[in-house]
Amino acid sequence: MINLTVDNKEVTVEPNSTILEAASKVNVNIPTLCFSDDLTVYGGCRLCVVEVEGSDRLRPACNTRAREGMEVKTHSPRVREVRKTLFELIIASHDISCELNCLICNRQNSCQLKDVAEDIGISRMCLTPGADEERESDHSSHSVVREPNKCINCARCIRKCEEIQGVGVFAQASRGPETKVTTFKDRGMGNVECTNCGQCVVSCPTGALHEVYHMDQVWESLYDEQKHVIVQTAPSVRVALAESFGEEPGTIATGQMVAALRRLGFDRVFDTNFTADLTIMEEATEVVNRVTNNDNLPVLTSCSPGWIKYIEHFYPDYLQHLSSAKSPQQMFGAVAKTYYAENAGIDPEDLVVVSIMPCTAKKFEASRPEMNDDVDYVLTTREAARMLKSVGVDVCNLEPEKYDEMLGVSSGAGDIFGASGGVMEAAVRTAYNMITGVNLQEIEVTPVRGLEGLKSAEIPVTDDLTLKVGVAHGLNNAGIMMEKIKAGEEFHFVEMMACPGGCISGGGQPINTERSWREVREKRIAGLYDIDENKELRLSHENPKIQKLYEEFLQEPGSSKAHKLLHTEYVTRGVPGT
Amino acid sequence: MQKEDTDILLEMAHDIQDTYGYIPEKEIAELAEKLSESRATIYGALEFYSMFYTEPTGKYIIRICDSISCYMNNSNEVLEAVQDYLKLEAGETSDDKLFTLEVVECLGHCGEGPVMMVDDRLHTQISPGRAVEILSKLH
Ligand code: SF4
Ligand code: SF4
Ligand code: FES
Ligand code: FES
Repeated sequence: MINLTVDNKEVTVEPNSTILEAASKVNVNIPTLCFSDDLTVYGGCRLCVVEVEGSDRLRPACNTRAREGMEVKTHSPRVREVRKTLFELIIASHDISCELNCLICNRQNSCQLKDVAEDIGISRMCLTPGADEERESDHSSHSVVREPNKCINCARCIRKCEEIQGVGVFAQASRGPETKVTTFKDRGMGNVECTNCGQCVVSCPTGALHEVYHMDQVWESLYDEQKHVIVQTAPSVRVALAESFGEEPGTIATGQMVAALRRLGFDRVFDTNFTADLTIMEEATEVVNRVTNNDNLPVLTSCSPGWIKYIEHFYPDYLQHLSSAKSPQQMFGAVAKTYYAENAGIDPEDLVVVSIMPCTAKKFEASRPEMNDDVDYVLTTREAARMLKSVGVDVCNLEPEKYDEMLGVSSGAGDIFGASGGVMEAAVRTAYNMITGVNLQEIEVTPVRGLEGLKSAEIPVTDDLTLKVGVAHGLNNAGIMMEKIKAGEEFHFVEMMACPGGCISGGGQPINTERSWREVREKRIAGLYDIDENKELRLSHENPKIQKLYEEFLQEPGSSKAHKLLHTEYVTRGVPGT
Repeated sequence: MQKEDTDILLEMAHDIQDTYGYIPEKEIAELAEKLSESRATIYGALEFYSMFYTEPTGKYIIRICDSISCYMNNSNEVLEAVQDYLKLEAGETSDDKLFTLEVVECLGHCGEGPVMMVDDRLHTQISPGRAVEILSKLH
């Protein structure tokens, strides 16, 4: 153990700890910008500099190890002065013109520059913003927009995409003051191997990265008397939306959210969980068939559109392993524009389907030609929160209301879709029943839960069959899992999620600048398992509204009608040049 | 990228450029594969060094230095004259694929600025008129 003092307070830390870690142990807050607790240390912004007794140079706290006997001053006059100057330089590179005014920035209430300005007590701004040329925004992607004028070159997006997602869309090019973050040959995110996952967005400390907005189109539909506008809410939204209204991560606000969306003017408020149950019916049927016939095993899940684009780019030889089942979002769209429209007597032309998703890739998914415009607009959780705020709806204090019934009833299996391992657990609960005719004794499949990057479990089903399942989340882990499969490791069924922790920390979720990623993820996950545990209905195949849907409309899981509406195909994309 | 990897990259990139005159896309992808990096990273690293081209260049590469000493000797006037004459901005290649114009950092002849290079040939203490004259002979 190592003993040192930080601002005259004694502290003992593990060997190899940084000064930053030592300081946080005694509740000293050192401002940081390029540092992120889930990424490797970069040490580029220098905002975290501190004074170490006996050394002339200031040291970056995030990148300097604590040593025995060190005396660290984190807020000495010299440090404070240097920090202010550095911050000014950073701000000068973050071109704030009237057009980019903080008032209209997407990061109004989660801007880390603002946090840092407060932390270091900025009271002057002498340098004029630096960009001599207006740098063009990148609008090439269906999911993410990049506004380089707001970029401060912290390289967090680069590291996130490379280290956690294993994709590597961004790089720094040129040098000196010309240094910029860009994509391969400046092609733009929509023209390279970007998966649309949005993890770079939630890593960015500024408003330089954000989703492609669908808010205006949704407002227009809501104001159009001709249109019947319905909304679906993904599992993870209900445990994150409240964060945008000041609540703790993981706060369950299902009923309040439903009430709020009615106030916003949606004609019906439905649940993506309902079609999550439907997805389980179709996917479990497929798994059972393919396991019985030893057909292209392992089956790989298909509900995470970031993962789909990833496999299309990087492992196109394995596309036939993907389940052909559409994602819950797209199954909802397909069912809404047929079954619901018919029943409600609405011309599908006049029906507008909006989704609220924790995800930026869902915007791309909805635009895929295979999905024939079943889902019209996709809002992220953040966009939904902004819309609600702008009409003065105080979500958390509303009286909870229930979803509209027809497409709004769901089992707990649907809720846990949002957590890594949840789709697998939901599918196992139903596949077991399909094979054996009885329900699992212990329906909680705990080995596939939690934040471990790669998970696996064996579930005894019959005397001859033990299901071997795998789970990976975060695309870098998905890549590792694919390599294992390539190397011959055997699984029956593997769940892949693009985002670390699953949809609960998707690229469209509220950005929490105050807590560590781990804490935010754990709390949101706990929220979902809590909902499942407290639901009477916990098995997709027991959902009465799903049973009714099959009886009245789809016949049975895997029927030709189900195939036509609820299944899809994939595209070989590859990486050009390889 | 690690220092050793950068060295390997530079060496391989030089070879490729010697062969093709620039670094084609499929070679970038191969470099990425060999060094276990993304193609964006390799592209970024190549952009860092002004001597590499990721697009085909013109027959002649014109480099004009605009570092501080040359700049003090009015290198910008030379640059403007050349830009007007070739109808090119820095970094562009002419439609007839004859010229690529580059603005570069110090070429190591600071005492004799402004400095213009045509391929490997160095022209020192150059005037705008002289620069255009040299180029006109290349047509
Ligand atoms: S959206 Fe995902 S894949 Fe695309 S650049 Fe951002 S982190 Fe990388
Ligand atoms: S886009 Fe955002 S995360 Fe990426 S370097 Fe710029 S400021 Fe940092
Ligand atoms: S936070 Fe330490 S150098 Fe940026
Ligand atoms: S400044 Fe132009 S050659 Fe050195």
